[in-house]
Amino acid sequence: MSPDGQSRGGKATTSNNLYTIILALAFCAVLATAALVAYKCYFQYGTILKIP
Amino acid sequence: MSTLTKILIVLLTLSSIFLCGIVVTYVANADNYRQKYDNLKDERDSLDKKVQDYTKQVNEALEQKKQVENKLSSEITSLKAEKGELQTNFDNAEREKAALLQKVNSWTSITKDFYQTTDKQGQLLKNTLEELNKVQTEQISQRKELNETTAALVEKMAIIETLQAENKRIQEEKTELQNRLDKFLQPIGKTAAAAVPVTPREEAARPATTEARDIALQGLVTAVDLKNSMATISIGTADGVKEGMRFHVTRGNEFLCDILIIDADTKEAVGALELVQQQPNVGDTVSTNL
Repeated sequence: MSPDGQSRGGKATTSNNLYTIILALAFCAVLATAALVAYKCYFQYGTILKIP
Repeated sequence: MSTLTKILIVLLTLSSIFLCGIVVTYVANADNYRQKYDNLKDERDSLDKKVQDYTKQVNEALEQKKQVENKLSSEITSLKAEKGELQTNFDNAEREKAALLQKVNSWTSITKDFYQTTDKQGQLLKNTLEELNKVQTEQISQRKELNETTAALVEKMAIIETLQAENKRIQEEKTELQNRLDKFLQPIGKTAAAAVPVTPREEAARPATTEARDIALQGLVTAVDLKNSMATISIGTADGVKEGMRFHVTRGNEFLCDILIIDADTKEAVGALELVQQQPNVGDTVSTNL
């Protein structure tokens, strides 16, 4: 997350914030998927982790 | 940050998004097994209930079937008894039918004989009527002859009376002539001899002597009606029996009674019992002469 790369290489590079955003998107996707699975499990089987 | 780290971040992000997509797709398309379970359970419960109802209905039907079987068994038993009785009645009816058929056959033969007898009697009656007509014709002619004979007799009687009167007159003339002749002959002492007629005297007609002859009919007693004092004998007009004849009934050398014939048929005759000494029986001898 530092601007060292830009100064050292001399060519245009992607900033580290972009990768942070990508990781955040991935995390959000995983979280949303987990929430969806939990929702489905709860409303279909009445529990999230236990086997009915 | 190194390039490798960046590549890993990108790969991780892509793989996570890909996996998340797969998971979401799977979860979104996954079946609701609980709902299916509940539906199946409800369906099973309803089916269990139906099974119980059907079992109950089957039990009731079996009970009714048993009752119907018992009832039908009793009905079958009673019907079998009734069938046996009806079979017995049928056998009796068959026997009666056979007897009646036999009677019908016998009556048919009797009727046929009766018709034949009637035809014969009709023929006999016809012959008798023809004979009667002949006899009546003969009787008419005989009556005519009798009338003619009577008229001739009356005429001859008149002639006889005339002849008798003439004879009387001749006798008187003869007596007068005899007296006159005596008057002429007495003075000379003579008398007239008795006159001898030239024509010989005819003798008067005399009735012919009749000689009695036995009829000598003989037969048997065929029926006796003591209540009406009547009897039937085995001989009739064909043998010479006539109404008014008297038959003597004997058994061995013993006299029983007389039978005065009052009705004679061709082959038998019926008469009244008279002078009954003993009661006659069938088979006793009847005869006109003892």
